[in-house]
Amino acid sequence: MKAMNRRKLFTVCATIAVASLAITAIPAQAAEVGVSSTEIKLGMTLPMTGTASPGYNKIPAAVKAYFDYVNANGGINGRKLTLVVKDDQYVPTLAVAKTNELILKDKVMALLAPLGTANNKAVAAVVNPGARKIPVLFVNTGFSGFADKKKYPTTFSILPSYIMEAKIMAEYIKDNFAGKKLGLLYQDDDFGDDALAGFKQAGLNFDIKVAYASGSQGDKVSPGGWITKLQASGAEVVILFGVSSATAAALGTAAVMKYAPQWILGSVGGDATTIKASGVPAGVLYNAVGASFAPATTDTADEYVKLFQEIYLKANPTETFDNNVMVGMNTAFVTAQAIKAAGKNPTRATLIAAIEKSGKSFASAALVPLNFSTTSHVGYNGYWFGKYSPTGDLKPAGGVYTVYTTDSGTGAVVKSTYKRPAMPAKGLPN
Amino acid sequence: MHKLKSSRNLGFFVVFGFILFLVGNRVDELRVYQGATIAVYVVAISSIILLTGYSGQVSLGHGALLAIGAYSAAVARDNFHAPVVLTFVIAVLAAAIGGALLGVAAARLSGPYLAGTTLALAIGLPSLANQFPIFGGEQGIFFDVGVPPASLGEDFTQYKWFFWIGALAALVSTWLVANILRSRYGRNWRAGRSNETAASLSGINVAGSKILAFTISAGIAGLAGALLSMTIGVVSPSAFPLALSFSLLTGAVLSGVSTLSGVMIGAVTLVAIPEIADVVATRLGVSETLTTNLPGLMVSSLLILTVLFVPNGPIEQHRTRHARKAAKEKN
Repeated sequence: MKAMNRRKLFTVCATIAVASLAITAIPAQAAEVGVSSTEIKLGMTLPMTGTASPGYNKIPAAVKAYFDYVNANGGINGRKLTLVVKDDQYVPTLAVAKTNELILKDKVMALLAPLGTANNKAVAAVVNPGARKIPVLFVNTGFSGFADKKKYPTTFSILPSYIMEAKIMAEYIKDNFAGKKLGLLYQDDDFGDDALAGFKQAGLNFDIKVAYASGSQGDKVSPGGWITKLQASGAEVVILFGVSSATAAALGTAAVMKYAPQWILGSVGGDATTIKASGVPAGVLYNAVGASFAPATTDTADEYVKLFQEIYLKANPTETFDNNVMVGMNTAFVTAQAIKAAGKNPTRATLIAAIEKSGKSFASAALVPLNFSTTSHVGYNGYWFGKYSPTGDLKPAGGVYTVYTTDSGTGAVVKSTYKRPAMPAKGLPN
Repeated sequence: MHKLKSSRNLGFFVVFGFILFLVGNRVDELRVYQGATIAVYVVAISSIILLTGYSGQVSLGHGALLAIGAYSAAVARDNFHAPVVLTFVIAVLAAAIGGALLGVAAARLSGPYLAGTTLALAIGLPSLANQFPIFGGEQGIFFDVGVPPASLGEDFTQYKWFFWIGALAALVSTWLVANILRSRYGRNWRAGRSNETAASLSGINVAGSKILAFTISAGIAGLAGALLSMTIGVVSPSAFPLALSFSLLTGAVLSGVSTLSGVMIGAVTLVAIPEIADVVATRLGVSETLTTNLPGLMVSSLLILTVLFVPNGPIEQHRTRHARKAAKEKN
């Protein structure tokens, strides 16, 4: 009797399993995944919650604000641009799971600005958008490895690489702070390794290097330890080459511990909004050096800054227009042009081909050109340096942008001669 | 008699495997991927059922045992290029050794003390990986089982490959567990669980039998860990949070902690919860923080509700009701 029962139960379980798996059949395939007659769907993973989220969690609203602006002006060939956002908490395993969802469940056409070096590497290895021929537009990381077209055939980077940034930063330090004792705080993963490679390439030596562990576990963040080490070494100039939350934690703790070297903030973490929001007094930020490839967010004379700010604040009236927003909207702007260039009925393949063919001539707010071609998936390649104002806004020294450019290899750091073309009418893809 | 039973079981597992094979060919990639995840949970939950349901030892730290399996498989694959099958064997052995060590300590502990010990392990062990470069720190190491063999055809996706490996592993391990539970060892465990004194009076080495239960359970958990890291491709401390241990325990309770045949219920529920949470969150348009925490909230609520209303799991409940009814009719 008992055996009978068990068998019956097994059958029940089997039926449940089969039924639950078989609920959805394979849907009829449209012309291209994520492209319908009315909509083009893109997907993004980034930390929306967790310790690494401050600052970056503003990016989706920035991208959506620009997409909505395009949609209100007729979309791209009559199709609306929509964005599906998934929270990966800056954890690679979650990034893999969420990217799977974007591809399999939400069926997006392409991945847009997925954030984080480790996350993008994990996604590339496991989900493998390259093998699935899914475009990964403009990864939100400066890891130089993503330029490897063979390894990441469908991935495009847009930010200058960390190697480029470190090389240009080294040049700036040699020019401005020669002979001073140098300290460095960096993230203990590929993001940090890339920066170290750049500094090494530039021949910059540090008196002390402090690594901090990446990841979501807040209990591991111990800025007191970092600052103690930096302070003990007597470093007079300290580079903070980390994410916003770590940069803010370091600055805040240093202020408490009365340690005030000349700070140099990397572009990733030099996000004044986040730093100020975490309670760091503006005075600490004052005179710190920062880097950017986009115009200063306070530079409302700039046509892009003016338009982007207007669009963003109309959609998000209570928020602050800052560099994360600026860069996010610029990425959305470049994406819209790429989709437009991909033809009347864009596919994943035509999208990639369009960026390779005409990406070089896409308009953008940056003060350095885009370098896309059939042989290069590298976006920007330069930075300008400036100082933070008493209110915490990054401004170019003397009000003039001096842009330096270089490559991720052994190339020299040179002054850029690039003149940005005028913005297309109304800031829409033409 | 015993032999006859297990061969009948074998027949069932073969038929069930065939059904899975048919289903796997008919559903889309997302379902196939979820199927692979269900297989992982089946293995992990059956390991808890063996330990807690049959030998009566509580483990709040199964995530740590999964981590041992996952890391040993990934290190074997990544550093020594071991063949995939071997990596799974290594995962089982490494976790079993870890489990045996833990079992020795566990045999002296019971109740809250054992729960506390295993809990500490779940918190501490995964972050230990940060201390040794070979484990890749917070970023972790990749665990790549490779692409499916070309002979399976062009359309055979990576996820189907995961599903095949996962389903096969789940079928084999569940069949093994089912048979062990019905063997002498299974009876010893149940005897020890019911009354330790009575069990030892009847000649059972209770401590030894407990250690054995921990060892076998850990070995199976190690297999689950290797399978889990196969489906997510990366092994890192963040893949084994405390929440994983609790989820697995909830899965076991939902399955009916002493009924192996309910293991699918727990596994399917654990995969379904994030889906349901996602639908709910999208419908309600709730904040990002709530969306992130909703699956955890649902798992915990389900655990509480199950303990309150169906403490022995739905299958055992159904069985008891049936037996009671039959008894009534007899009278």
